[in-house]
Amino acid sequence: MIVRTLLAAIVAGLIAGVFMTGAQELRVVPLILHAEEFEGEAPAAGEQPAAVQPGTADPAAANHDQHSSLKAVSPIDALLDALSPITPAYAHEGEHEEGGIMFGMSRFSGTLIANLVTGSGFALLLAGVSLVIGYPITLRNGALWGACGWLAVHMLPAIGLPPELPGFPAAELGDRQVWWLATVALSAAGLYLLVLREEIAAKIIGLVLIAAPHVYGAPQPSDISSNVPAVLGAEFAVAALATTLAFWIVLGVVSGFINDRFAKA
Amino acid sequence: MATSTVSSIPLSLSDRLTAGIVALLIGGFLVFGAGLANSAVLHDTAHDTRHSYGFPCH
Repeated sequence: MIVRTLLAAIVAGLIAGVFMTGAQELRVVPLILHAEEFEGEAPAAGEQPAAVQPGTADPAAANHDQHSSLKAVSPIDALLDALSPITPAYAHEGEHEEGGIMFGMSRFSGTLIANLVTGSGFALLLAGVSLVIGYPITLRNGALWGACGWLAVHMLPAIGLPPELPGFPAAELGDRQVWWLATVALSAAGLYLLVLREEIAAKIIGLVLIAAPHVYGAPQPSDISSNVPAVLGAEFAVAALATTLAFWIVLGVVSGFINDRFAKA
Repeated sequence: MATSTVSSIPLSLSDRLTAGIVALLIGGFLVFGAGLANSAVLHDTAHDTRHSYGFPCH
């Protein structure tokens, strides 16, 4: 029975992941590719971007820079990296050359696999929350479940850390990931208290939990100059939030459908 | 088929919690691996996905 419940979630996640891949290819991925054309140009220094030779990249270079497995690191680059406060934002040109992607897959295959894994992961998380708090996901409430998932995982964290294009300036990766995880967890808990609990006190605590990470503030880069045009960033933020909303609603509705139809004893 | 019932939660409480926690752990592992894990190969494979989902990236 437990296995059946988990399988139902995974199937819903795989379906939503395939859907997400299609939605991404329409709008989001073209914007990412467009932004990467600007990414290699260092914003302030005006330094020539390092020419990347995919065939000659030293595997050891991957240890130097977590953001790129294939960037050939010249001494000048290393010096610039050490001096620049925003290295990670533009230090990953050339990472999608052959060999950077698992099993030598194409970029599209990598994205598809990642979407399937992410979809299953989010589906399991949604099912897990539903099981632990005892509110089943059904066909009728699936879209609402999905919308709450989107709010907790994408919309509310995006207030502090909007979806970024390659080449955007950003604060230290670790700091942002910690803030993002904390915001997702607090937002999910806050939404539960706000939406599913009757008590006024619970609703107030829920609002406080949702607001807390934004009062604290997301990690911000010290230098916000970027070569990526602002228009691309605006289009990308809207496209990313719109596609993830569609993803979560598909995920919630499909989860509800499978639960209603197959997962019951 | 004759035994099928329409109950909202077919699992017992302990089964439900077990399933829920297992689902949270596996789901968290998958999302962490695709979205946050600090590995160059995982990053490159999932690059477009990480950006599209708004995961903190780079």
